[in-house]
Amino acid sequence: MENVKQNKSQAVVGIKKDNTKQVNQGQSGKSERGNSNKVWQFFCSVKLAVVIILIMVVACILGTVILQEKTIDEYTARYGYGLATFFKVTQLNNVFHSYWFSFLLVLLCANLISCTIKRWRNTFLQTGFILTHLSIILILVGGVVKLQLGIKGGVNVYEGKTANYFLTQIINRKGALDYVKKDLPFTIALDDFILEKNEPKFQLVSYVKSKDKSKVLDSKLGKRQRVPGSNYKVTIKDYISDAELKQEPINTSDTPENPAIFVKLFGSEKVAAEGWLLAYDRNYYEDKKQNLRIEYIWLSSQEEVEKAINSIETSNTKLSVAVSGKGVSQDYPLDLNKVFKLEGTDFSVKMLQYVLNYGDRRPVEQQPTDNPAIQVEINGPEGPETRWVFEKFLDWDKMHPAKYKNLKITCSGLASTYMAKNTVRIYQSPEGKQVIVFIKDKHITEIVPWELEKKYAIATTDRQVMVSNYFPSFDFKKEVVKKSDQIGTPAVFVEVEGPNGKVSDWVFSDNQYATWYTDNNFGLVYEPTGESVKHFISHLRIIDNEQTVAEKAIKVNDPLKYKGYVIYQSSYDPEAGNYSGLQIVKDPGIPIVYSGFGALCFGVIFIFYIKPFLRKKLKKEAEV
Amino acid sequence: MSIINITLIVYMIASVAYIVREIWRSGAIKWISLGLLILSFCLNLTMVAKRSIEAGHPPFSNLYESLVFYACCTAFIYIIFEFVYNFRIVGALASVLSMLILFYATLQDDTIRPIMPALKSNWMLIHVVTYMLGYAAFGIAFVTSIIFLVTKPFVKKTKDDTGSEGKEILLRNFDKLSYKIVAFGFPFLTLGMITGAVWAKKAWGDYWSWDPKETWSLITWLAYLVYLHTPLVLPKMNINKSKASVMLSIWLLVAFVIVNFTFIGMNYLPSASDSAHIYGSQ
Ligand code: HEM
Repeated sequence: MENVKQNKSQAVVGIKKDNTKQVNQGQSGKSERGNSNKVWQFFCSVKLAVVIILIMVVACILGTVILQEKTIDEYTARYGYGLATFFKVTQLNNVFHSYWFSFLLVLLCANLISCTIKRWRNTFLQTGFILTHLSIILILVGGVVKLQLGIKGGVNVYEGKTANYFLTQIINRKGALDYVKKDLPFTIALDDFILEKNEPKFQLVSYVKSKDKSKVLDSKLGKRQRVPGSNYKVTIKDYISDAELKQEPINTSDTPENPAIFVKLFGSEKVAAEGWLLAYDRNYYEDKKQNLRIEYIWLSSQEEVEKAINSIETSNTKLSVAVSGKGVSQDYPLDLNKVFKLEGTDFSVKMLQYVLNYGDRRPVEQQPTDNPAIQVEINGPEGPETRWVFEKFLDWDKMHPAKYKNLKITCSGLASTYMAKNTVRIYQSPEGKQVIVFIKDKHITEIVPWELEKKYAIATTDRQVMVSNYFPSFDFKKEVVKKSDQIGTPAVFVEVEGPNGKVSDWVFSDNQYATWYTDNNFGLVYEPTGESVKHFISHLRIIDNEQTVAEKAIKVNDPLKYKGYVIYQSSYDPEAGNYSGLQIVKDPGIPIVYSGFGALCFGVIFIFYIKPFLRKKLKKEAEV
Repeated sequence: MSIINITLIVYMIASVAYIVREIWRSGAIKWISLGLLILSFCLNLTMVAKRSIEAGHPPFSNLYESLVFYACCTAFIYIIFEFVYNFRIVGALASVLSMLILFYATLQDDTIRPIMPALKSNWMLIHVVTYMLGYAAFGIAFVTSIIFLVTKPFVKKTKDDTGSEGKEILLRNFDKLSYKIVAFGFPFLTLGMITGAVWAKKAWGDYWSWDPKETWSLITWLAYLVYLHTPLVLPKMNINKSKASVMLSIWLLVAFVIVNFTFIGMNYLPSASDSAHIYGSQ
């Protein structure tokens, strides 16, 4: 009795032991031998069911842990030859279509059928039990029909083209991937293919260099958020959907801290070129076609300007070497590979090579005279040292490691020796001396004091030059403006709090480099989250016997059915987006499987919800 | 403070209230603890609703959204059950479970991304909702199994089956309670699996293709199927009642691990890259 009680409370449906026995006796009475009765008992038992299900569970686990249906090469590469062969022999490379798995399913079916027959009773309460068990059989039978009679494949159709075949993928006997062409009993025409993309979205990603950790931040405006695992805090203060960085030149003071002039070059009345020349930055403009170069030279005094002008014609390239603290100083002409002794010292210098634009890979003759330099070898008491000496960066050696720190080497004249055919030098100094020097073939043709907004002709060319503005302290005012209301180049204005205090800046989505916080450890990138597809729709037409028999715009989740074939929208051309990937499926087992699905759903609802309810009701009625 | 943090904290407080209720049984604290849990459930539901409005699609298109919804379902199923049975200490662990799930959600990428075409289907809605309700029920059964296994050595066997309060379920009957909860959740799991198959047929052309995610959902289903059938087997194998209960409770623990593996863990399988159903691999 103890067992009965337990079954009642625990089993899906309480089994009445005595009932079972009656049925069993009935069955065994029919069977002639105890032996066949035993076989029958075995097939009927829930024990067998549980064992089969447990084996199936193990098989399923293996079928997901071991990669399935790959080529033999892939297995060998991943698992080694021994295991790969083992998988092939045991069919563990294709568990779900293996003979042994099919055998399990057949056994399961036999078990289900026999147990259902054995327990069959024509009572309403049994409905769920019978339905669930039959449903599994239906689903499995439907599956077998699919495997035997069904086909599944795909074809890529270009817009405006047709297809009357499709390809199925198989792993052939050799274990390699293979395609088999199958003909369709009709023709599919792709009249139109529409690929609709989602509006691009952007995300702010932070990166902490010391931890090598990046994190997508919340894009909400005004929310101060801590970057997990760090001491940085980020607040997005502003957002522009289509931003543009406008840099407006401004003058910040009247003391010449960063002198700049705005130069216009006229070619027969029209402006041919114009722009800012900065004394301490980009101080020249070059017109290759005219062989013309305009330079802006800022010097600290009137004397220096005069000295510079005087040395234009006379100057030769020279290297000056001075030993600090000894009062020794010496000039040498440019003469490569010749050793010059520095009188009164242990030093000697040798010029190895010169360039007109340091870092330029072209031959010297082709280089613009932007950053002239001479490579020098110094020999002294501590052995040789080579260094580059730059004409325009006199203090280069101070900022770089040098063996002979007390040896100051400068060079001059390279720039003027290798001048363009026509050179215009615009000189200026703080006291107000400002002259333009016109140089042709290294000879001064004219020296004129210049004024703002006045044109000066450049001899032997048709050009005229004009200085139209002068900023003693040039600077850029950076302003981010909205270009349009659409989503173009979005940007966010971000405030970062970190060890160096608060810093804020605009981060643009078209900037592929990170925007770094002042400690160079924390960077921000504002990037698109990847283009995603919203819809892809194929306007299909089915042609059978030269007649259009069906027409439909298919999309994912909405296929077209014709003659037992179902045509699905499955993919698209990822590059140009002009072909549509169609999947073609034929599965005569579907009605069987779907009835199984229905029976299973209704069955479980019956067993677990309806039946207990009915039992309660019956019990109550019995009590009354 | 964000709503997710508030929800987490209220779940926590609710859990504490349930523990207090276990020690100091009074009508008032009973309603307070239940009220707190309902409050956290409502907060959680608000998160789901808010997300669904913000994203403009049903709120289960990625792991973050699904986890938030999963936490919500767990609280919901527990609350339903509390109205039917007197659960006692289960509430404490149920709210901790919801809290943990929600906490795990906070570790995920919560960026709103446009929904991919395959997910635009009403089948998806039924599929996810039924699955999550099923999973939630199994979560509660997991909790009752733990309590059963932990308290078993301390509970006296002599008392009679029926409790004094009628609805009150004694700790030593928690194995039966687990069974009832699984029986409640199993149809949901079955419906989830079948609607998933129907949806897969509509979207990908095949109701079943032994995709790793599909296979693992089958494993989950089979695990609970075994659980539902074993009570029919064990008595015949001369296994005594008490041992059988322990075995079944342990099986439920394993099955719940499988549930979570199907839901989350399987993303880490080598075959996951081939799967059409893995979240976040868009
Ligand atoms: C949704 C799925 C299933 C449900 C809800 C279900 C439910 C049930 C129920 C309620 C019983 C007891 C019947 C009674 O007491 O009269 C039962 C028995 C049984 N089930 Fe299932 N079942 C399911 C699937 C399966 C499957 C897949 C198998 C696989 C082989 C199986 C094998 C068995 C066997 C052999 C019995 C007989 C028990 C006996 O003879 O004592 N069931 N099932």
